[in-house]
Amino acid sequence: MAMPFSFKSAFQSLYREKWINILSIFTVASSLLIVTLVVFSLYNLELLANRLPDRFSMIVYLKDTVSEKDVQDVLDTLKKRQDVSGLKYISRESALKELKVALKDASHVLEGLEENPLASSVEVKLKTDYVSGTAAALISEELKKIPGVNDVYYGEKIAEAIHLLKRSIQNISIIIFLAISMGVIFVTYSTVKILFYRKKDEIEILKLLGATVGFIRAPFLIEGGIIGFSGGMLGILGAFLFYFGVTYRLSIVIPVIKTLVFPLEILIALPLTGLVLGIIGSAIAIGRLRF
Amino acid sequence: MITFQNVSKYYDYHTVLRNVSVTLEKGEMVFITGPSGAGKSTFLKLMYMAEIPDEGEITIDNRQLSSLKMSHVPLVRLNIGVVFQDFKLINTITVFDNVALALRIRKVPDRELKMRTSEALKKVNLRHLGDSYPRSLSGGEQQRIAIARAIVSEPTVLLADEPTGNLDPNTALDIIRLFRDINLHGTTILIATHNRELFRGTGKRVLKLDGGSIAGEEVG
Repeated sequence: MAMPFSFKSAFQSLYREKWINILSIFTVASSLLIVTLVVFSLYNLELLANRLPDRFSMIVYLKDTVSEKDVQDVLDTLKKRQDVSGLKYISRESALKELKVALKDASHVLEGLEENPLASSVEVKLKTDYVSGTAAALISEELKKIPGVNDVYYGEKIAEAIHLLKRSIQNISIIIFLAISMGVIFVTYSTVKILFYRKKDEIEILKLLGATVGFIRAPFLIEGGIIGFSGGMLGILGAFLFYFGVTYRLSIVIPVIKTLVFPLEILIALPLTGLVLGIIGSAIAIGRLRF
Repeated sequence: MITFQNVSKYYDYHTVLRNVSVTLEKGEMVFITGPSGAGKSTFLKLMYMAEIPDEGEITIDNRQLSSLKMSHVPLVRLNIGVVFQDFKLINTITVFDNVALALRIRKVPDRELKMRTSEALKKVNLRHLGDSYPRSLSGGEQQRIAIARAIVSEPTVLLADEPTGNLDPNTALDIIRLFRDINLHGTTILIATHNRELFRGTGKRVLKLDGGSIAGEEVG
């Protein structure tokens, strides 16, 4: 099947103006490579931040007077909550046992005690989404109201830090992505604008021959799209070279680097991002055509 | 039918066309003549909307051009074939592609496009130069490419601005013969020329433009 005229025309122009186009593709590739490396770093940081809430828990201290039935009631109430992902009941006796193990050689400090000073408690694991300073404080207040509960302890600072880390990662990602996107749009805009000016006479002829706006614009949009898409593909190549080259060599010295994950979604996202940004840049460059 | 009604066109303070009223019947072949600067080219440009009249009204097939939206300009141009005085060829594509462009714009299927383009090139005796680039050809050859591009789409109206300016007398008469053939198939043709030899003995209407006004009319 013959290639549609607009594609043929775009490819011819890409070839004719190969140097400016190659330069643009490399510029787009470098920009998108920076995006990839940032995404790669932030993705792994996010994975790490997502693992942190697993280690976060609340301790619900029960009153000394609670019976076994009261304990069961508290556990049932907690189980029903949608923000709770797991529970672990620690009786006064097992708490003391754990303390003795923890104190090891210094366990003699407990010898003078006539009765167990520790309270029974429930270790509550929260679902990831609820691990933030405000959410945890709210949950803690609610748990305190359950009959039989004496007090609730949780690491406010840790919860806040985890939440802050995750939010910062998201914000940084958005800012970097927007900044680089503007850069890519600007590169394709400039390239297509130059090509557009170089073809000014050709465009005038097309207009006089009765070509529609779509007919005139299509090759430029395709050209911008191809520049963006090729930049994206080249960016992936650069990212792979970086991942397998740099991280592989570094992992010999720093083994923990082996645990870093390369988000495979980027294989599709990068060329598509390049394509879309390239088309946007071209569309802005062409502007409104007047007859 | 094409009607010019009290049409005037000014460039800054200079009057190019003054109060021109003319009617061209459908299927008519008309020559428009006059000295350089008489307003011949502007007269044609107003028809394919490269220029907009400052006063008056132009109507083509009952369609008032002044009432058209800018987005409808291509529709008017698609019905008109134009041989530009400066050829307006694209130097980066081949002769064949230049001629075929008029059909690509009209979304003519590839097979038909090739056939019709070859046919048009044959009519102007340039079939053997299809793969050449316009820049490498002589002025006369470039003019014939422009003619081939104007006729390939079989427009209802054909406008030619000095279409034989770069041709030798024999080729020029061949081109006029070609226009007359096309005219026989019902195409309205308007040819702007200052070469009286082109319309002499044709029996066609000749409009004389002078200083931007219609100075008279005769039969060639």
